[in-house]
Amino acid sequence: MGELDSGRLQEPAYMAQQIAACEAEIQKGIIGQREIIRQAMLAMLTGGNVLLEGMPGLGKTRLVSTIGKVFDLSFKRIQFTPDLMPSDVTGTNIIIKNEQGSAFSFERGPIFANLILADEINRATPKTQSALLEAMQEHTVTVGNDSHVLGEPFFVLATQNPIENEGTYPLPEAQLDRFMFKILVRFPSKEELRGIVGLTEGNQEPMIEKRMDGRGLLAARELVSQIPIADAVMDYLLGIVMATHVANPHIREGASPRAAQALIRASRAKAFLEGRFNVSFQDVAEMAYPVLRHRIIPSFDAISEGTTEDDIIRAILEANGKV
Amino acid sequence: MDKKEFLRAVQACRRKMNTASFLDKLVSALSIGAAVGILFWAAAFVVPLYYAGLYAGLALFLAFLTAVLISAAGRAGMEQAALRMDSFGFEERIVTAHENLMKDGELVALQREDAMQQLKAHGDRIRIPILPSRKKILVLAGLAVLLTVLAVVPSKTKEYAKELHALREEIREKEDAVEEVMEGLEQLAQEELTPEQQAEIQDMIESLQNSLSEYQQASSQEMVSAASEKLNYKYESINAQLSAMAQSMQNGASVSMATAESMEAMADRLREMSGQELASANGAGTGDGQGSQNGNGGTDGQGDGSGNGDGQGDGNGNGQGDGDGDGSGNGDGQGDGDGKGQGKGRGIGSSSTPHDYVSIPNAIADSGNLTGNAVDHDDSEYFYAQNGLSWEGTHMSHEAVIGSYEQNAYEGIAAGKYPSGMEDVIKEYFSSFNR
Repeated sequence: MGELDSGRLQEPAYMAQQIAACEAEIQKGIIGQREIIRQAMLAMLTGGNVLLEGMPGLGKTRLVSTIGKVFDLSFKRIQFTPDLMPSDVTGTNIIIKNEQGSAFSFERGPIFANLILADEINRATPKTQSALLEAMQEHTVTVGNDSHVLGEPFFVLATQNPIENEGTYPLPEAQLDRFMFKILVRFPSKEELRGIVGLTEGNQEPMIEKRMDGRGLLAARELVSQIPIADAVMDYLLGIVMATHVANPHIREGASPRAAQALIRASRAKAFLEGRFNVSFQDVAEMAYPVLRHRIIPSFDAISEGTTEDDIIRAILEANGKV
Repeated sequence: MDKKEFLRAVQACRRKMNTASFLDKLVSALSIGAAVGILFWAAAFVVPLYYAGLYAGLALFLAFLTAVLISAAGRAGMEQAALRMDSFGFEERIVTAHENLMKDGELVALQREDAMQQLKAHGDRIRIPILPSRKKILVLAGLAVLLTVLAVVPSKTKEYAKELHALREEIREKEDAVEEVMEGLEQLAQEELTPEQQAEIQDMIESLQNSLSEYQQASSQEMVSAASEKLNYKYESINAQLSAMAQSMQNGASVSMATAESMEAMADRLREMSGQELASANGAGTGDGQGSQNGNGGTDGQGDGSGNGDGQGDGNGNGQGDGDGDGSGNGDGQGDGDGKGQGKGRGIGSSSTPHDYVSIPNAIADSGNLTGNAVDHDDSEYFYAQNGLSWEGTHMSHEAVIGSYEQNAYEGIAAGKYPSGMEDVIKEYFSSFNR
């Protein structure tokens, strides 16, 4: 394996190569789902969080654990249920008795890891969801009067089942906005399924190797944030976000300013991942789907017509031209 | 590739873009201009449009100018050129590098280097067509051919438009001449003149004003000729009046010599102009000619007839006076060679002898506005005489009434009061009484 050269962390070309190598390594452990892997990588490069929407059993847990292995990051999985309490996520103060007497001590919850898989997030109560969302946004956890800083990098991959709505607490729009991407996990093709079965049911598990560490990931993030964006590309990007606010019979509410920030970061990360040091129109257009689809609230007309968020975004992109 | 080379590449692309854009706009604009020109020429086949060629040319010129202005205003900048280059598969590398060309930073430098490297390796991908699309060029060529054909194909309407234009030009020239004379007369009116002379000059001006109106309303060569004929007569008449006026002034020495001289000069000018009018109205010619004039005498009693006219060629004139009065006329003509000349004149007369009796309403029998006196009109009642119903009052002969009307009609003709073309009808009407 290629060990990360800590002396070259500031070299953009080198780091881009390393990130590309990480992606390739992850793909060794996950059959198909290249888009999911790519977007998870992009979220990691930008410090964003991902909401995965798809059926159970599509390899979400495996994806997160593989990412953890490749990036040498700690990984925790939290299964959200209606009776899950915030303290079950964040941790709590407990009384510790010792020779000096008893005292409160903070017992860290599963949130204290680099990679968190929040499985079926919409099954937990809003209060518990909020505890996770604070960690996602602020990278801190507040218990009692104390705030505890989470370790960096911190990355949450939350999942929700699009079919079973009974006994769920759908995330409000304001909380959805905190997810950088919403990725739709599609059922694998027959060939992919063959590969998955072969991989998981076979005797030989693929050897997933560490390619990078948290320090390298943070250095890569720093490089990504410096990628220049041409004025014309920035205009195009902002035009797309603004277009969600123009009178449109299919849109009830447009994307927030946070969407523009996320789109800039995602586009930069995509360019970096592809070994480029500039953002193209194509980068912006491709990133518009995962960034905007959970930030646009479709109108009743759109829902009744069966027009999806992706359809709306496609129409906006076509109207804006360039790509 | 260094920064200079990179900039040169972008600059070259920009030049190509601007040239292509100009040519494209030019072809489009000229197509529109040609289409407008075709409309003008097509209209010239239906309605007389003398300036169709000028308008078509103007449309093309405006189209060219518009293309130049729009191209100048919408010239592509370096950033646009860089973006255009990126559209050939450079994924916005070039525009980003161009924007950050002078900036420092490792990543920026790396991006620039990447862009230059890509440009060097794949610069041949950039192909900016200079010429407009073949379709546009073919459309323009087709329109140009159609325009040319329409421009050269003759038609009756085009010929008519030319004639109409010539007529308008002629009318304009004549209007200018009339206005010049009117101006001269207005200046004369400012001189020291008697009220009668002032009034005479005002009459002349009004008479010329009528001629001006006739020219303005003229829509055919016949109308212009008729108006010119009348104008010629007016010039002669005014000339005579002014000459007489100047003579009387010189004799009476009531005004300055300058006024009399300017009057003479005006008269001379009018004499010249009347000659020109005649020539233009009847066609230029030289040679033996004839001058003729007719004078209509007064009605009953004494009358004077006077008239004058001139023509080119050897000429003679005569004056006639019909009726009980005397009529006289004079005229002159001169010229030599082949051709003919014409002169016209008329006489006017007045009577100092008693008129025949006519019946007038006794309600106005005593009115001071009427000439002559009613006699034995103590009351207004009619009575039955031996021969039937009769009225008291004076009688006027039929000839006298006709003569009076005729005189008024001729004065009206001279003053240009009647529509063009009606003069001959009026003259024929009154001459029929004499026959």
